[in-house]
Amino acid sequence: MSFREKSAWISLISILLVSGFFFWQVPARMTAASHPALVRGLWYCVIALVLIEVVAHIVVAMRAPKDAQAPKDERERLIELKAIRIAHYVFLVGVLLAVSSMIHLGANVFAMAYHVLLAFVTAEVVNYAARIVYHRRGL
Amino acid sequence: MSRLPISNTIRRLRFDHDEMTQQQLAERVGVTRQTVNAIELGKYSPSLEVAFRMAAVFGVPLEQVFEYHGGGRGDEQKW
Repeated sequence: MSFREKSAWISLISILLVSGFFFWQVPARMTAASHPALVRGLWYCVIALVLIEVVAHIVVAMRAPKDAQAPKDERERLIELKAIRIAHYVFLVGVLLAVSSMIHLGANVFAMAYHVLLAFVTAEVVNYAARIVYHRRGL
Repeated sequence: MSRLPISNTIRRLRFDHDEMTQQQLAERVGVTRQTVNAIELGKYSPSLEVAFRMAAVFGVPLEQVFEYHGGGRGDEQKW
C-alpha cells in the first residue's frame, strides 16, 4: 500500500470517528441555549481530528520515510483530482439540501449551519473513500 | 486484466534487464511502485513523459514498450 493510500485511510477513519461522535452528540443537545457549548465541542473535535491525523501520519511516515517524503506522482495527483471532483458534487447537493431545510421545513439558522457542516463532512468522507477505491483499482 | 487499448511489455523488459524490480524501475522513472504496477496491468495510461522515460530506462524505442490497439476515437479512458 502506498503512503498516499495509507494517508487516505487515516483521514477517512479519523473523520468518521470524530464526526460520528460530534453528530451523535449534536441532536440530543441542540437547544437555543446550547449553541455556545456545541461550538466549543466542535472546536474540541477539530483539535482532536488534527491531533489524531498528525500522530497517525507521523507513525506511518516513520515506517516508510522515503515514500512519505517523495512528491506525489502523476497518478496520485490524478486520483486526488478525481476524488475531489466527486466530493465537490456531494458537498453541493448537501448545501442545497441544507438551504432547502431552512426554506421549506422552517429550520432555524443554527440547524442549517449544522446541516452544512454535515454536508462538508460527508463530502470529505466521499473524497477519501474515492481515493482509496482509485488506489485499489489502479485508477 | 487490461481495460485500456494500450498493451505493454514492461514486465518482460524488466526481466530482461537483470530482473529489475518494479521498485527499481519506479525510482528511475520518478513514479511510485504502485504506479508502475498499475501501468503493467493496463489499469493506468502513463503520460508521454513517463512513457518516454520508461523507454529510455530500457534503451528501446517507445513502440517496443507500448502498443496502441484502439481505433481513431471512442476509446478514451472513462472518467
